Amino acid sequence: MTQLHGTAGLGAEAVARREPENPAEQKRPRRRLSLGRVAAWAVMIAMLLITIFPFYWMLRTALSSNSALYANATSLLPVDFSWGGFERVFGLQTVDEAIAQGGSGAQLNFWLYLRNSVIVATGITVCQVFFSAMAAYAFSRLRWRGRNLVFSAFLLSLMVPIIFTLLPNFLLIRDLGLIDTLFGIMLPGLFMAPFAIFFLRQFFMNVPLEIEEAALIDGASKVRVFFALIIPMSAAPIATISILTYITAWNDYFWPLMVSYTDDSRVLTVALGAFSAQSPQSGPDWSGLMAATLVAALPMIVLFSLFAKRIVNSIGFTGIK
Amino acid sequence: MSSTRHSPARRPRRLRRHLAGAALSAAALGLAGCAGAAVPGGEGDVAIDYWLWESVQLPGYQACADAFEAENPDINIRITQYGWGDYWEKLTASMVAGAGPDVFADHLTMYPEFVSRGVLLPFDEMEATSDFDGGDFQEGLAELWEGPDGRQYGMPKDFDTIAIFFNHDVLEEAGMTAEDLEGLDWNPEDGGTFEEVIAHLSIDAEGVRGSEEGFDPDNVVTYGLASGGAGGDGHGQTQWSWLAASTGWVYTDEPVWAEEYNYDDERVHESLEWLFGLVDKGFMPSFAEVGTSPNPTQQLGSGAAALSPNGSWTISSYTLLEGIDLGVAPLPAGPVGHPVSMYNGLGDSISAQTDHPEEAAEWVAFLGSEECQVLVGEQGVVFPAHPAGTEAAIEAFGEKGIDVEPFTDLVEEQHTVLFPVTNYGSEIGSILSPVLDAMYIGSADSSDLTEANERIARLFD
Repeated sequence: MTQLHGTAGLGAEAVARREPENPAEQKRPRRRLSLGRVAAWAVMIAMLLITIFPFYWMLRTALSSNSALYANATSLLPVDFSWGGFERVFGLQTVDEAIAQGGSGAQLNFWLYLRNSVIVATGITVCQVFFSAMAAYAFSRLRWRGRNLVFSAFLLSLMVPIIFTLLPNFLLIRDLGLIDTLFGIMLPGLFMAPFAIFFLRQFFMNVPLEIEEAALIDGASKVRVFFALIIPMSAAPIATISILTYITAWNDYFWPLMVSYTDDSRVLTVALGAFSAQSPQSGPDWSGLMAATLVAALPMIVLFSLFAKRIVNSIGFTGIK
Repeated sequence: MSSTRHSPARRPRRLRRHLAGAALSAAALGLAGCAGAAVPGGEGDVAIDYWLWESVQLPGYQACADAFEAENPDINIRITQYGWGDYWEKLTASMVAGAGPDVFADHLTMYPEFVSRGVLLPFDEMEATSDFDGGDFQEGLAELWEGPDGRQYGMPKDFDTIAIFFNHDVLEEAGMTAEDLEGLDWNPEDGGTFEEVIAHLSIDAEGVRGSEEGFDPDNVVTYGLASGGAGGDGHGQTQWSWLAASTGWVYTDEPVWAEEYNYDDERVHESLEWLFGLVDKGFMPSFAEVGTSPNPTQQLGSGAAALSPNGSWTISSYTLLEGIDLGVAPLPAGPVGHPVSMYNGLGDSISAQTDHPEEAAEWVAFLGSEECQVLVGEQGVVFPAHPAGTEAAIEAFGEKGIDVEPFTDLVEEQHTVLFPVTNYGSEIGSILSPVLDAMYIGSADSSDLTEANERIARLFD
C-alpha cells in the first residue's frame, strides 16, 4: 500500500527523467513505482481476484437457498441466505427437510466420513512415502545387478493409465476379502508410487557421496545411513512428496467409490457425490454441493497454508552443494 | 520415522540390529495403522443389498424396507443410493467383480445388456416371484421387462411420461391463460399453434415478443421453449421424443427387442430440424448457452424460458422452485391428431450373483406389491406402476397443488410410445449423441442421422 502512495508523489517529470538513463543502471532493482510496476500490480491484483472469485462464488452458492437459486442466478450475494447447504453436509437435516429444500435426501454421517478420509490419506501417505524412500535409496545409492532395468520398468509404469489396473486391482481386493474396508481402499497406494520414487531418487542422488562414505567407514550400515543420513538430509523433499501424496489420496474418488459399499468405509469425496445430480434432467443440489466442496477442501487448504513454504523451498532446493 | 532420531551409537553392530528392528516395526506399525478398518456387520440374518440412484425416492423405499422388515424379521434390507453417473459405473464394475447388490433399480437402456450377459435372475426361478402377474400394473409396463426369452427380468417400479411445465405469471404477462396452452397443435412444417405460442412467449432485450415485428433473435431474454439439450442418451426422451412420435414415427420396427432402428425416417429428420431450427428463430436457447448439462428446470426457475417440457419424475424439482406459480400443460397434438409421449418405466431386478436369491425375490415381490407402491406414491415423487400407487401419487401431487393430469391422461388414452428396448443400448447412445449434438449446434444435418442409423444397423448384423 505504501508503495502505491508513491505513485502520486512520483511526477511525470521524474518518470520522464529516468528514461534516458543508461540500461545498465536500469537493471538494478528499484523500489520506486514506475508505470510498469503499477501495471504489474494491477495485473497481479486482477489475477488474484480472478483466482479467488470461484471460491467466493462457491461460498455464495453454498449460503444460498437451493430452491431460490435459479430465480436470481446472477446475484453476487447469496440468494435467500440459508445455512441449509452446510446443515446438509454435516448431516444436521432430516431427509424430509433436505428434500424440501431441494437437496439430496442422502443421509450424511460427516464426521465418520472425515475420520475415514483422514485414516486413508494418512495411511497411504505414511506407508507410500516410507516405502518409496527405501526404493529410491536402493535405486540411487545401492549397486545391484539389473538396477537400471528395474528402474526403467518402474518409470514405464508411470505411463500405464489407472483405468487399466482398476479392474484387476478390484478383483484382487475382492479375493483378499477386503471389499468395503478402509484397508482395501488404501492397499493399492500403500506400497510404492513410481512418481514418488523418481522424485526422491533425484534428491538422494544429490546427497554428497563423501558424507555417506564417511559414515560407512565409521562402521555404519547401509540401513543406518538411510535412516540417520539420507532421510534427515532430504526432509524437505520428503515433506513435499508427503503433502502431494496426502492431497492425491484425499481427493481420490473413483477407487474409493468402487471399494466402499457402506458408511463404514465411505470417504468424504465419495459421500459428497450424493450432492451431484441424482438422475438425468434433475439438477444437482447446488448449495449442498458447494458447501460440501468447501468443507472438503478446507483440510487441504489448512495443510497447504501450513506447509506452503516447505513445498516452495524444496522445489527450489537442488540438493546440498 | 522415529528411527531417524536415534543418536549416533557407539556400538554399531548392536545398533544395526536395533535399527533394522525399528525399520521393520515401523513398517509393521504403518501397515497395522492402515488396517484399522471395520468389516460391515451382518446382524446374524440375511442381509439384502438394494441400490437405487434417486435420492428423493429414498424416503419412500425406506418406508417399504421398514414395512418389509417388520413382516420378515429375518431379512435385513440395506438401501444404498448413488448419483446417476456413479451408479452405473459402480454397478457394472461390481458385477464384473461379482460384488454387486442383490437387488437394484434398473433402467431400460441398461437391462438388455444385463440380460444378454446373464447377470439377472429371471423371476420364474424363485418361489416368491414365480407367480408374477404383469396385469397388476399399468398397461404395457410389465412387457418392457420381459426378456427376448419371454421370461420376466424386472418388477415394474414406476412409469413416466412427458408434459410441459410453465409459470402462470409469465403467461399472464403475455396476456394468456393456462387454457391457451391446451389443445395446441404442432407439425414439423410451420410448427402450428404450438410455434405461435412459443414465439409469443419469447421476449428479446427490448421487450419485443417473438410474435411481433422487430424481434431480435440474437438478443433474447426469455426463450419460449426451454432446452434439455439434443437428447443426450440418443432417445431424446424429454427433448424431442414427443415431437417426433406425434408425427407417427416410432423408434424401432418392433415395440420391444427390435433389431432395426428408424433414424433414417424423414419424419424424425423433419421434427429435429424444426426443433433445432428454433435456435435461429430465437425461440430456444442454443447449445452454446445451455452447455453440455442443460437443465430445463433451472431455465424455468430463472425465467430464461417460458415453457419447460420435462418428465414426470422431475415434478418435485419444479414444485420446489421459488417464486414460480407452477402449472402443467399437455403436450401439443401432432400430425397424428393427438399428443404422444414416451412411456418409460423403471424396474427392480435381481442380480444373478446374489447369495440369497429367495430372500431377494421376496423383497422384489414386496417392491411390486400394492402396499409398497402406495407407500412410494404417497411421497409424491413418481408415479408407481401399480394403479393404486398411481392413485396415491396423483393425490399426493394434488395436495401440493399440482394437477398432474397432463401426465396421466396420456397413459389413460394410450397416447404413448414405448421406450426402445433393444440390445446395444450404450453403443447406440454413443453413436447417436454426438450426431444429435452436432445437429443442435448446426454442424450436422439429417443425412448424418441416416448414416448413424446404418452404423446402428451394423451392430445387429
